[in-house]
Amino acid sequence: MRRAPAKQRSHVPDIDITAMIDVVFLLIIFFMTTAQFARMTRADVRLPSEPGEEREARPEPTIIVNVGADGAIIIEQQQVSLDRLARMVSSEIARAGGDPAAVRLTIRADRTLDAGTLNDIARTLAGAGLRGVRVATEPPRGGSS
Amino acid sequence: MRFSPRSRPKSVVGRIPLTSMIDVIFLLLIFFMATTTLSTPESRLSPGLLEERAGGAASDLTPQVVRVERDGAREVFRLGERVFNDRRALVAALAELPKEPGVFVRASDDASVAGVAAALQACRDAGFTRVSYVPE
Repeated sequence: MRRAPAKQRSHVPDIDITAMIDVVFLLIIFFMTTAQFARMTRADVRLPSEPGEEREARPEPTIIVNVGADGAIIIEQQQVSLDRLARMVSSEIARAGGDPAAVRLTIRADRTLDAGTLNDIARTLAGAGLRGVRVATEPPRGGSS
Repeated sequence: MRFSPRSRPKSVVGRIPLTSMIDVIFLLLIFFMATTTLSTPESRLSPGLLEERAGGAASDLTPQVVRVERDGAREVFRLGERVFNDRRALVAALAELPKEPGVFVRASDDASVAGVAAALQACRDAGFTRVSYVPE
């Protein structure tokens, strides 16, 4: 007796998609976390258009102080007063073992902000014991060095 | 012929329908890729910070100070008695100064942060490594 030809198996289940799912999950997690971090650290501030400094090693700042065009001081999405800023810097210096150089503070100030507010902040920071800050700038478009 | 009930079972993993899960995953991936805004890199200027105190340390050297002031609608840079409207001229003048003592940057209250950043950048471009911002 002649047997009927066996029913051909579908080839679709044979494709190994495990590696593809791994990569896709990795991409999803990457985009989710990067979007979250960008929202946390950066407020919507128009920075001065300057090329800044060229440095090889650039350690991450300890405190990022965002200052809007209206003079509002925002740290980690919360508006703070000058007194609170001074207390935060003092506690950071104390946490770093009393070494002001270990505290890296970056000011992200709006380019249209009046320098009077910047002077107030700088005076407060210097009074709290800080010896240096960094002013964030936006490199001009067009690839200037 | 009777099949033995102990025949090898098929792999369970191969039977799970993955199509809908892959659809959802791709949808999520496309959503996050579309909504993510890649942040532009930031540069930073690093001036030292000095607090002006009465009776500060005396120095034999005259401090080199760049002061940012507002003159009507525009901003000017004052270096000693000289006033510069153009940043290139300021950089050229700063380049002739000795670099060891460093340079101080000050700004009047009605100047802008853009002017302060321009002064700090001019000092860096002129070759100063010790740049300090002194609030007024």
